[in-house]
Formats: sequence, C-alpha cells, structure tokens
Amino acid sequence: MNVDQIAGRNGSGVGERPILSVSDLCVRLGGVDLVKDVAFDINPKEIVGLVGESGSGKTLTGLSLLRLLPGRSLSGSGRVLLHGDDLFTLSDTQLRKVRGRKISMIFQEPMTALDPVFSVGRQISETIQAHMKYSARQAKALATEALADVGIPSPHLRFDAYPHELSGGMRQRVMIAMALVCEPSLLIADEPTTALDVTIQAQIMDLILAKCARQGAALLLITHDLGVVSSYCSRVITMYAGEVVEDSPVEMSMRRPLHPYTSGLLRSAPRLSPRKSMLPVIRGRVPGASEMPAGCRFAPRCDFRSDPCGREQSISVYDVRRVRCWKHEELKLSGVK
Amino acid sequence: MTSSGVPVLSLQDLAVHFPVGRRAVVKAVDGVSFDVMRSEVFGLIGESGSGKSTVGRAALSITAPTAGAVLQEGVNPQSLSRSQFRKHRQRYQMVFQDPHGSLNPRMTVMQSIAEPIVEMDALDPGKRRARVLALLDCVGLAPAFADRYPHQLSGGQKQRVNIARALASDPKLIVCDEAVAALDVSVQAGILNLLLTLQKDLGLTYLFITHDIGVVSHISDRLGVMYLGKMVEIGPTEEVEERPLHPYTKALLASEPGARRAGDGEGAVLEGEIPSAISPPSGCRFRTRCRFAVDKCVTVEPPWREVEQGRFVACHLV
Repeated sequence: MNVDQIAGRNGSGVGERPILSVSDLCVRLGGVDLVKDVAFDINPKEIVGLVGESGSGKTLTGLSLLRLLPGRSLSGSGRVLLHGDDLFTLSDTQLRKVRGRKISMIFQEPMTALDPVFSVGRQISETIQAHMKYSARQAKALATEALADVGIPSPHLRFDAYPHELSGGMRQRVMIAMALVCEPSLLIADEPTTALDVTIQAQIMDLILAKCARQGAALLLITHDLGVVSSYCSRVITMYAGEVVEDSPVEMSMRRPLHPYTSGLLRSAPRLSPRKSMLPVIRGRVPGASEMPAGCRFAPRCDFRSDPCGREQSISVYDVRRVRCWKHEELKLSGVK
Repeated sequence: MTSSGVPVLSLQDLAVHFPVGRRAVVKAVDGVSFDVMRSEVFGLIGESGSGKSTVGRAALSITAPTAGAVLQEGVNPQSLSRSQFRKHRQRYQMVFQDPHGSLNPRMTVMQSIAEPIVEMDALDPGKRRARVLALLDCVGLAPAFADRYPHQLSGGQKQRVNIARALASDPKLIVCDEAVAALDVSVQAGILNLLLTLQKDLGLTYLFITHDIGVVSHISDRLGVMYLGKMVEIGPTEEVEERPLHPYTKALLASEPGARRAGDGEGAVLEGEIPSAISPPSGCRFRTRCRFAVDKCVTVEPPWREVEQGRFVACHLV
C-alpha cells in the first residue's frame, strides 16, 4: 500500500522498481512480537540507514531478511521480495543461491563471522565457486584481486593468512571483499564499524560506500550511530521496540523529525548540545519483550501522550515520509540542524 | 586541606612498560606528563593501543609506573605504608566501561556501595545504611534499589550504582574509563547529565577517558590527545576542537562520524593503522601515518612544548 506510493515519490525515479520490498515482517519469540509489522522498500543504489537502540529489533530485522534468525524459537513471517522473488518461500537450495550472490551481509565482529580454520583467501574463493562457474585457479585470482581492491597490502601473501593474523580493520576489509565479490545488488551491513577505532571506522565506511557505488549495489546500514547515518545515508528508518516509527530522507528527519522518539534520540546526542549543558533525556527505558505496552509502544516515555495513544498506531504516509504517530501533524518537534 | 595550587593528580614523565615474551617490551605509556587540577574535568582521548587506559590505571596506582612519578595531591602513593596506602587509595576511584562486570553479582546494591565505607572504617555500621540511601538519592535511584541485585537492574541503573559507589568514599579524583561507552545514546545522556551535575554540586575532579569525541568535548574542560603511548596535544577543549594543532588531532576530529560527509575525499581519512607499541617508529611516532612528515620527523623525537598559553603539542611542524 503506502510503501509503494513512497517508492514512487521518493525522488529516485518513477518507474524504478525497488530491489527489496519488505512487508508485514514479524519476528516472534514465544507469543511476543520482537519485530512487528516492519515494512520498507530499498531502491537500486540507495543508501538506507536503519537506526535504533539495543532491543529495537534492527539486527533481527537485518537477519530475517536473509532468513538467518538464530535458533528455532525465533520465527519470522511476512514477505521479503528481492527483485520480486519472495525469500520467505524459497527452498533452502534456492536460498543458498541468493545469499552472497544477490544479497550479502557483513557484521559487527568480523572475527566471529570469519571461519578461524581456513585462510581468508580460501574463504573468499569458496564464495566465488559457490556462485560462479570458476575454476579453482580463476577463483584464486579473483579472490586475490578482491583483497587488493579493499586495500589489503600484499594481497598475494595475505591470501594465505588466517583471520587471527589480521587486525580488526583488516578483517573487516576481508569481510567486505567476501560480501561484494559476487557483486550482489544489496549489501546489509550490521554495525560494520562499531568495534573499530574512529580513524579506521572512517576508512571502512569510505571503502563500503566506494565499493557499493562502483558496483551499483544498494546498502542497508544498520547502526545505533546517528552521526554515521547523517554522514552517509540518504534515507533513515528509525525503529523502536520492534516497530518502524519513522522513515524519512535523512535531512528532513534531522531537521524536523516527525516521531517524538526520533526527536528525543537526535537531541540526546552530546555533540549537539552546548558544552556542559544538561542533555535532553528520554525518560524511562525501552520496554522488555514481555512488557510491551498496548497501543503506541513509545507512549509510556512520550512527553506528548494522550488517550488516543493507547490505541494501536498504524504507520501513515506524510509527503515522502512515513511515521507511526497519530499526532505527528500537530507536533512541531525539534531536530538538530 | 587542599590548597588550590596543588594538582589533584600530577603525572611526571610517566612510563609504563610491560614485558612480553623474553625480550620484547610493550611501551604502553612512554613519557607522559600532565596535571589535573581540583574540580577540573580532564578528558583523555585516543584510539585503542594509545595507552589512555594505562594512564588511568597508573593514576590510581592499579598499575605501577616503570619510570616517572604519579603524585596524588603531592603524595607519592608508593611512599606510603601498606595500611596508609589502603586508606589513601579509597579517595581515588574509578568507574569502568562495563557496568555489569564491575558489580559483584552476589552483593546487593547496599553492600556494593557500602564496601568502600567499610574499607575506610569511615562510619559506624548504624550510620552506613543512611549514607548509602543518601548516595542512591544523589545518583537518582529510589531507596528501594538498595536491596536489589545487579541482575535486577538495567545498564544505566547499574552505572548509577557504580557512580554511587565511587562517591561513597568522598573521592578526590574519579577516573571514568569509557564510563558511558557501553550505553545506548538515550541512557548515555542521563549518565552524562548525572556526572556533570555531581561535578558541579560536589566540586568533583574527573579524569575522563574515552574514544568518543562527542562525549569528551561535551564534558571536559581540558583535553589531552594520546597516540601510541605519547601525549601529542593538550589544551582547553574548545580551543583544541576549533583549532587543533597536531596533525593527529586534526585527523581524529575529522574522522568523527557526523563531522564527515560521504565522498569527503581520501585526504580527510587517516591511512594505515596504529603501529605496534613493541617497536614504535623512530622519531615522531605518528610520522608513519602523517601526511606532513619530513625527514626530521624520522630522526628527531619532537619535544613537548607549550606553543601558546595552556596549549602543549609535540610536533616539529607546529
């Protein structure tokens, strides 16, 4: 419904079909919705930020797009259309052909994402041979090229290095090489620089963006860091307690957020308040999975709540933006720019 | 008792080296000097491996200096007797990054906060409870929290308990080592507000160690920047931020997310990674990543000098 309208109006060109279209995505644990009714589109080459604090469901959302939810107790439902194919209805064999080929993912901690007992070169070659008809030799050549391409010095020697022999920044470079070697149309990056130092973080973000731009891949950047989002993304989806509360072009969301939670989050960043002043704080805390309030999940912490907030809130379209707050038109919320 | 002239903490040419293997030595901190004055917030920033946490640990006598001296209000803690030192060190407290790991899971909040009071024999047992409740109030926790265990608290609440415990001994200095790094932005804002309020109300002194430029520039009066075991720049926070002098400080400030824009160009990003502290580069330690390095930087270690009132820097080119 509204998602399609947005995609059409989003400036990235009428007639351009979104490469990824997510609707009704839910992740359940027991009887509780950890992720509820998540819907969004990603257009070709678009760079979208998915932000939220711990427990907002942003990582579960990212994992469920690739059907990577851990354990059996978590169950995902909904529709995830990639180029029109519903990933949730594919067989395991079909899914294996999509992962790493059409859609790839990189994680916060590359040490746990890489296999410690195989050399990094071999892990990249394996990915290549799984998806393309390459001989071992061709795969090795391509893998070495991929290592060089992500800025790893002496890639011929590093091909045989094991993950523990590399620094954190180098490991993340390897992950990026592996994720992008088969030229997927979408990269999901879950906190790719959170474990890294700021100067390395800047290098890695520049690398991810440059690679995606060169290959024409779209990027879904999952992060808690609004600074990263404001620097690199064109659109930002904000999640709170398992729901999407706002979906806006970054500039608009920063200048005039529509949802009270987005506004609170933006304003609590120390960078944006005068030195030594008291920072605006969102009172209370994120509800646990078993204590989700009925109606608007943010209402107990919201300064603007009133009776209608106790009702279920649907997400509504507002110009090129979407927001889950019935009051958004009357609230004139402050942003940061 | 405290004259305003004596720094609460004075590091004089501090060096902390750790042996690794048979021969090698990691020079975690190598010749660092600075003073922290009473009621001042001194921010210490640097990347992993810069030695900032080791400075914090040495400042509290958790790690012994290899060379140089640590003076706490003019007293060298190493010169104290065991029993004197035991009482003395209670006045120098630390708040760590992991709010959960720094609380004993088998102690109630009451017991955790009372521990430093017991250690100092400061109050008779009857008055301890009242003191703990007053401390809880100080950090914005209701009296009901006194009998809870750490697992019953959120991350922000646990960090409040850690702060209350640090306050229990009426500290002269609190070292905050990445004290808000593990917290979500909205929780972090609350803890920063608390630290600032306490500092104003009680005239506390903090050595605030962090990798987060946004946080440090919000809370600190003066800022020290470390790189690979050396201090590269010290100055009033606002001045350093507006007009950084050392090339590393410039690169660090420019790397901050939010300060950057996509496609800023390669120049803004620092290339390479921090070298090993076992065999640091000769001359200036930053030269291997510095865009402005000249021959002199390879051979001569830049001296630590005051280039303007209150602004210190170690760079040949400033």
